Amino acid sequence: MKRFASALAFFFFCLTFSGYSFAGDKVAGEARYKKSCIACHGPAGKGAASYPKISGREVSYVKSKLETYRKGIKVGPNSSLMIMMAKPLTDEEIANLAAYLKDARYVNN
Amino acid sequence: MKIKFISAIIAFGMMFGFAFNAQADGHQGMNVPSISASMVMSGLENPWDMAFLADGTMFYTEKCKGLSVRTKGGKTHALYGMKGSKGYAAAGKDLFCDGQAGMLGVVPDRNFDSNRTLYVYSTSTKYHGSGCKTNFEKCDGNIVMKFKVAKNLKSVSGRTDIVKDIQYKPFESDQPFGGPGAHNGGRIRIGPGGYLWVGTGDRHRGICPQDNSLLCGVVLRIDGDGNAHPENNPPAGGDKRIYTYGHRNVQGIDFRPMDGRAFTAEHGPWHNDEITALVNGGNGGWDPAEKRAGRAACPDMYCGYEPNQKEGMDPAVRAAYTPMSDTRFGDLMPPAWNNNGFSQGTGSAAFLKGSNWGVYEGRLAAGIMGIGFGDTPTGLRIDMYDIAADGLSIKTVVRMPLGMSKRFRGLVMGPDNALYAATDEGEIYKISAQ
Repeated sequence: MKRFASALAFFFFCLTFSGYSFAGDKVAGEARYKKSCIACHGPAGKGAASYPKISGREVSYVKSKLETYRKGIKVGPNSSLMIMMAKPLTDEEIANLAAYLKDARYVNN
Repeated sequence: MKIKFISAIIAFGMMFGFAFNAQADGHQGMNVPSISASMVMSGLENPWDMAFLADGTMFYTEKCKGLSVRTKGGKTHALYGMKGSKGYAAAGKDLFCDGQAGMLGVVPDRNFDSNRTLYVYSTSTKYHGSGCKTNFEKCDGNIVMKFKVAKNLKSVSGRTDIVKDIQYKPFESDQPFGGPGAHNGGRIRIGPGGYLWVGTGDRHRGICPQDNSLLCGVVLRIDGDGNAHPENNPPAGGDKRIYTYGHRNVQGIDFRPMDGRAFTAEHGPWHNDEITALVNGGNGGWDPAEKRAGRAACPDMYCGYEPNQKEGMDPAVRAAYTPMSDTRFGDLMPPAWNNNGFSQGTGSAAFLKGSNWGVYEGRLAAGIMGIGFGDTPTGLRIDMYDIAADGLSIKTVVRMPLGMSKRFRGLVMGPDNALYAATDEGEIYKISAQ
């Protein structure tokens, strides 16, 4: 019983402090997006020129893609560029970007 | 009395001094226009270029869809689509888009009113022939078409391909922007004498810009049937249609109102965007071939992003390795502007015409798109350059006050002396000065 309680406590401890397991911060994600991504992917991830639309994707999809690029794995013709952009991203920044992009919508000004 | 006199002297001096300062400041008496932007169209898919008739009719291209027209009354008609596009009066089964390639430039003939002729630049499979099997061989994949536009502006007919052999990149390569369809140039404009000028790109092939037998990394000057201007002066053995060579990716070209001289605007490869005054037969100085100028072998024989193309580095170090304007060429056309060594995606360009532009009349406007890589700030603006008479430098560059940041892809002057700008976000803006 004591062991079970310890395991449970450890589980909640991990959940609490892993951070990356939880939903990201959309506001922080938007700020990061505007710093590194907007010049290619356009406002709110709508896609621009030859750079694809990346908004409206599931959080898990964006996270997976960015983690793949961060590892240096090629997954398309602009991989080299994306690998460079993803390399400096932290787990938290990836989570924030994924959270922001899931619901990002382009509003024409 | 003495005090009063001294005070008067001081007051006079102050007034004189203030007045003098105001003049020295440079703003007194300057006709600085008020500039504003309003949206003309939105919801487009990668609008790339526009072309106006005198009555305000506007033709425009969407890279992966095709050619359309917006009448002076505001109605739109889809005229000629790419393969698979829907809703167009006609389509070219050979026209396609991939990456940066697709339907790009558009311009009417100088005598459009009488001959109804329109020129359009696009990617096509029609002339691949036995080429295009690899990235390292001839690939005739970009063309210039000529159409007749119906009087009701609802259709085009009589397609004639007047240039069939502009080079195209068919496959992915080991470069940061390595997808197929890279660097097509694509801007077309009518210059002095009614000749057609065509900007092309290096299509990520190292030997292209300095090989004058191939149409890649060159500017063409041709007539309406695709024939070379008789006074073109390419290097010996070069294609006679070539006006200048040694370019990277010419997406901006226009002619200075005061003397008709051609200027190009080009993206740099993570260093040195450039504005360049062209010289007949001149060399832009871009040579991304491997094993030249002290370089070793490069990925897929293209040194355009080297050295160390997969990491950020000081743009000046890159510039020293593969310069945009290599001074080892005796026929080099030195750039008037190099963006302080940065590359931010300088693309289209148009000279500002009309007295409504005030102090900016005659300046070159250039659209700047991105990309902010490493420590390079993002572009997303329109700059206005006051270019020296000799075309070898600029006097000033001023950011156009628009109150918005966009990927400005296509710039052209309208008949109303407004500047029109297409953005990669899918809009066309009218930028007015008064």
